[in-house]
Amino acid sequence: MMAKWSKNTKTSASERPRRNLKKEMAQMGTRGQLLALLTVLCSALMCKAVDIPDLLDRASQRSDKLHSLSNMLALELESDLPTIGRVTMPRPAMCHTSSLLTPNDKEQALQVSESTLMSLARSLLKAWQYPVGVLSNSANSLPHQSKGSISNKLQELQEHSRNLEDGLDVLSGKMGPAAQILSTLPYRGGSDLGQDKMSKLINFNFLLSCLRRDSHKIDSFLKVLRCRAANMQPNLC
Amino acid sequence: MMKNDGGVRLFWLLLLFLLYTRGKSYSVPGKPTLTRCRSPEKETFTCWWEPGSDGGLPTTYKLFYRKEGSEKEYQCTDYHTGGKNSCFFNKNDTSIWVNYNITVVATNALGQALSDPLNIDVYYIVEPNPPENLKVTIQNDKGWPFLRASWDPPTKADTRSGWITLIYELRIKLEEEDEWEIHHVGQQKVFNIFGLQSEGTYVIQIRCKPDHGFWSEWSEDVQVVVPNYFPNKRSTWVLVMVFSGMVFLILSWLLHINSRNLKHCILPPVPGPKIKGFDQKLHKSGKSVDAFKSLDVPDFPHHTFSKSEDLLVEYIEVYVPEEQELMLEKSNNLHNGCLKSENSVSDCDSGRGSCDSHTLLLDKSGQQTDTQESQTDEQRHGEALQGENLAYTHQDMVSPDMSAGRVKTWPSVFSPLPQNRSTEDQTSSLEIAKQHCLSDSLLPSDFLTPYHSPPGHCTREHLGSNYWEFDFGNKRPHLTQPQTEVCHQIQAHSEININTGVKAEPAAQKFPTPRSNEYVEVQRINEEDSVVLRPVASNYDKLFEMQQGEDYSRVKGVDSDSVLLLLQKEAMEEEMNMCSCEQLTDTTDAHYTTFATSPEKPTACTHPTPQPLEERVVNGYVDTATMFTMPPY
Repeated sequence: MMAKWSKNTKTSASERPRRNLKKEMAQMGTRGQLLALLTVLCSALMCKAVDIPDLLDRASQRSDKLHSLSNMLALELESDLPTIGRVTMPRPAMCHTSSLLTPNDKEQALQVSESTLMSLARSLLKAWQYPVGVLSNSANSLPHQSKGSISNKLQELQEHSRNLEDGLDVLSGKMGPAAQILSTLPYRGGSDLGQDKMSKLINFNFLLSCLRRDSHKIDSFLKVLRCRAANMQPNLC
Repeated sequence: MMKNDGGVRLFWLLLLFLLYTRGKSYSVPGKPTLTRCRSPEKETFTCWWEPGSDGGLPTTYKLFYRKEGSEKEYQCTDYHTGGKNSCFFNKNDTSIWVNYNITVVATNALGQALSDPLNIDVYYIVEPNPPENLKVTIQNDKGWPFLRASWDPPTKADTRSGWITLIYELRIKLEEEDEWEIHHVGQQKVFNIFGLQSEGTYVIQIRCKPDHGFWSEWSEDVQVVVPNYFPNKRSTWVLVMVFSGMVFLILSWLLHINSRNLKHCILPPVPGPKIKGFDQKLHKSGKSVDAFKSLDVPDFPHHTFSKSEDLLVEYIEVYVPEEQELMLEKSNNLHNGCLKSENSVSDCDSGRGSCDSHTLLLDKSGQQTDTQESQTDEQRHGEALQGENLAYTHQDMVSPDMSAGRVKTWPSVFSPLPQNRSTEDQTSSLEIAKQHCLSDSLLPSDFLTPYHSPPGHCTREHLGSNYWEFDFGNKRPHLTQPQTEVCHQIQAHSEININTGVKAEPAAQKFPTPRSNEYVEVQRINEEDSVVLRPVASNYDKLFEMQQGEDYSRVKGVDSDSVLLLLQKEAMEEEMNMCSCEQLTDTTDAHYTTFATSPEKPTACTHPTPQPLEERVVNGYVDTATMFTMPPY
């Protein structure tokens, strides 16, 4: 299991704490997985079995919509970014959510417990609450030709994000205490995206690319959870 | 040193090689280009590149990549699975949500060329393989067939765990057609197709796409032949029904269009009034003369229309002396009364017509002026009239001289109109008509709305000027004219009466059926042996005053010389006393004067309203109120 978590055997100094974390996570994963399974079984036996798959279905639908919006936005802005901007854009590792350890492939993802997946999804979502607001506010001053539609999409995105957050709060409440764990991922970008036009564009692009990826993560996690909970309905999965 | 030797050796080898291949140019390879990378299941991915020029020399390509967060450079290990110029990243090498920085290096003997780096993340390069195992079967739904298509997801895609979510799309067409019919299926793996052509060959294809990714390629064709599903029996029936349905529709549509015509045929409309031979169109066009030409009847004397003045009596010239004109001007309500009488009495003859002539009266009547003035005028006139009256009565009672325009009416001559209509001669009818005029005009203007109640009573308090003018009128050629005058005059007088008598008549309201005074009372016989008359209230007029204390005498009759025969006073008083007891209404004795055609004394006085008309005649009393009982008012 450990091998699966960390594929790179050659670790550097910076990677060591990560590996430890991964170990912990793996351990937690097994324990958490059992716990989650028990919880799911218990809730299945009790009256609330139908609720969770349905709720997960709804949640995954909303996360799907959320990712579609962020995808559209990111692509729209990326196309207009001059080459120089692309070059100088910070690397994706600089996203404020990159510190959160998430599964990086299917095996890892399938091994993670439901609660962990839910926790990860919720943490990511919460971490983007503020930056999305910043993006939405800065949309009007963005030096872009279609900033009106961008602003609209951002507002819609914000709404979806809030809805999903509320829904996941409810869901996690049904899934047990492990799902309630939230990791704080502070955003340090500030309320202003940049002083000059170019930096504004670059920062906008960067943030949107980070959001795009994280929203896909959330979506994937929820869909995995959905299929896991829908044992009675093999049609969906 | 060793290296130096090696280098020199290499140099010589190259030189020899160059000499060997003399005439050809060689260069470093051109820059390769990474075209695309794709992941079919989010677990592995492949990248392809486009090589540049090889520079004439064998060129090798290598792919290097870096992962996000580490500077370590990896090299692609599989250049074959993906085909030429590709690099396949296996599961171990693939991480999702990790940014890859990929570069391809082309190397040849002379040098190498680096491609532009490509940054990708597996999550947005997903393009699955097409679905597999597409099967289409023909199902039956109550005799109507349909196709059921089923398939499996691509092998590698793990949809069961939810790692990848696929949505499908199906397309179908008839074999011979060119355009496809696309159906969006969703996440399910089964789909039904309806509305098939009998004995048609269909071609179906399917493809899929991840929730956020690229569409796969279309799967291979699956052909299916739809059997003939119209059984013979049914088809015939269907045809027949369809045909009949169409026929019915056409018929109903025709009916609807021609509904109006049919309505006319079956239920012809009631013909409206139509003048035979009258051309409406001509009339509308404005040529009325032509329009009416068709109405020409041979014996219709339409040719005399031009001389309409001869035939049509539009107006009658009335010669009215100046004094009378003044008086007449003071009455302006009388014409209505006059008109009323026309309504009540049917035999409207020349005299009446002129009397009732609306225009005539209107011309003559002006504004109501001060009553006092009128009264004084009337008094003045009254004197004059009286004088004239006397003159008339003296000279010729029966045939008054119309030159002065004075016509006197002797009410007692009047008999109730309905009875005597046939029997009485025209004179009496004229007189009666006049009486109507009179009665109508005597409307109390205070409490009764003037023109629709039977005439009320007039007080005779100011009777100084009151008098009746009466007419013995025979058939005279100019009767119409004077009579109009008389009517006017009478009406004028009575109007004045009304005006003057208005204030003093509160009690008159209580009368059940107020009626006019038709009686004329002989005031006195003056020195010239003329009878001075004055109007008398009917029997039940309480307020009828006798206060003038005038003597009155009852006219006994008219002898052959047209002389009034009057009774003595005593005889009259007797009668009066007798009559008073019979009065239904209280108080004052009705003063009356009658013109008796028979010499007998009246045996009893008769009450005007309920008494039969015959009695009245017998007694010699004429009460025009009775005349008013006849026509419903």
